[in-house]
Amino acid sequence: MTDLLSVHDVTKVFGGVRAVDGASLSVEEGTITALIGPNGSGKTTLFNIITGYLKADAGRVEFAGRDVTGSDPGRLYREGLSRTFQQARVFPQLTVQENLVVAGGYGWRKLFSSRVGNEDRERAASLLEEFRLDRVADLFASELSYGQRKLLEFAAVLMSAPRLVLLDEPTAGVNPVLIETMERHVRERNAAGITFLIVEHDMTFVMRLCDPVIVLDAGRPIFTGEPSVVQNNALVLDAYLGS
Amino acid sequence: MRLPSALRGGVFVALLVSMPMLGLQHWFLNLLVFVLMYATMSSAWNLVGGFAGYPSLGHAAFFGIGAYTLALFFKDQVLATGYEPFLLLPVVGLVGALIGWPIALISMRTRADVFAIVTITFLFVVQTLAFNLHDLTGGSQGAALPIPPFAAGQYELPFYYVMVALLLFTMGLTFATMRSKVGLSLVSIRADEDKARGVGVRVIGVKVLAFSVSVGITAMVGAVWAYYESFIYPQFAVDPLITIAMVLMTFLGGRGTLWGPVLGAVILESGQQVLTYQLGAVQLYLIVYALLFLVIILLLPRGILPTIEDRLRQRRRSRRTEAPAAVWPEDPAIPSKADTVTTRGGGAA
Repeated sequence: MTDLLSVHDVTKVFGGVRAVDGASLSVEEGTITALIGPNGSGKTTLFNIITGYLKADAGRVEFAGRDVTGSDPGRLYREGLSRTFQQARVFPQLTVQENLVVAGGYGWRKLFSSRVGNEDRERAASLLEEFRLDRVADLFASELSYGQRKLLEFAAVLMSAPRLVLLDEPTAGVNPVLIETMERHVRERNAAGITFLIVEHDMTFVMRLCDPVIVLDAGRPIFTGEPSVVQNNALVLDAYLGS
Repeated sequence: MRLPSALRGGVFVALLVSMPMLGLQHWFLNLLVFVLMYATMSSAWNLVGGFAGYPSLGHAAFFGIGAYTLALFFKDQVLATGYEPFLLLPVVGLVGALIGWPIALISMRTRADVFAIVTITFLFVVQTLAFNLHDLTGGSQGAALPIPPFAAGQYELPFYYVMVALLLFTMGLTFATMRSKVGLSLVSIRADEDKARGVGVRVIGVKVLAFSVSVGITAMVGAVWAYYESFIYPQFAVDPLITIAMVLMTFLGGRGTLWGPVLGAVILESGQQVLTYQLGAVQLYLIVYALLFLVIILLLPRGILPTIEDRLRQRRRSRRTEAPAAVWPEDPAIPSKADTVTTRGGGAA
């Protein structure tokens, strides 16, 4: 297995705070890797740097063997690196189906084609069905519950056939039934070849689903290993509970 | 759904084309020419301010650019038929769009209120240039255009039909935008531009394209206005009030809709002209504008058409026995920030 994503000595400073401090990590292709750590450990900042939303002060990001440091999020998305956000972000003024179509990552020529063409409809239909959103396909996304929005956001980033999906707290604010649903979708998509990097606070979810687990503290990884080992690691316990 | 919209379009075109045949008086045709001008400009502004959610306050600069482009082109010329300036309109539109392209590339790096300030600054730069570039614009003494050699009895007619053509062109373009992925992309940009970037929407390209097309059309209207007026001054050719009118009309009718800007222009422009004629108080309309803007914000934050559309949708839904959202009764209805964004418009009225 090769590394699909690797981060080398990335640093990001906000004023006097070193949010990410010389972090290096890698995500092997085909894995469901977790990125955990206490609040303020730099997980989301690192996500933002990897996906091009923030520029790193130092360091390098490589995706699929190519240096993508500072690349535009849209370009990364079209190249197969996509993400979801901590607070589910969908387009409320678009219908559920349109939310999927707009995420199709289409080129210039397709821009002038029909808003939702037959090809788009077919592409969206299977995802809508898979995520049980088919019955609300024509509703505005603003009319969905928060849990449905989380699912819609996840489904939308799959429209572009990504290679690596970064999920930022996929279970935050959703009920236990939907957590299981989310877990099932991640497993199925992973079996179909998509690699995942997941930031998550729900440890039972992480322990069930992810391997390996990377633990971040004060802006840098302090441990990488199997979930069962992470739970008993003294460094990790210190980071979470304080020594 | 297709039949009513086609029917609506057909009735609208037939009404516009047949209106002058009703033997209308000159003052009324003159009023209609101005209503059409503002309807076209508001529809053009709607492409940027309505669909993309970028509240440009600089559009009047392009109105002036169009006016002066035509004035420069026909400087000291005598027209044979009078239709020559109309034939030049596509070139004027292209000039406006080409100037708009770099302006959009720079100004659209900012958003919302900062974008509004950057664009209104551009407007004042253009106005200052119009006052000071005497060789090009004639400065505060104004610039003369050729006198249209149309018969006095039918003076307004050519302008009327050219404006009808421009309005239909703009509405056609708006309709095509709404039905294409350009429209889909623009609405996603308005809703959440950062998210749109992250799902591969061609954010910069689409919004710069919308801005260029929008200001190109505005420049064409400016050119028609200049020819209609025959003599133009910087303070009227590059007038912030023109921008304000476009914004108000679009907001009143409903931004991000096809018919909203047209409805807004019909109400506001005819209202203003009637006030001017009836009360003889030329500046009174400014007070009415201010009052209307307050009323719109208070009562119709999304404009007339989206509000009606919302009410109809709610009524239809209340008649249904089973709500589709109840598919997942187990979902927690945690309110999110996105809930509050639904009032920002985006219907297909």
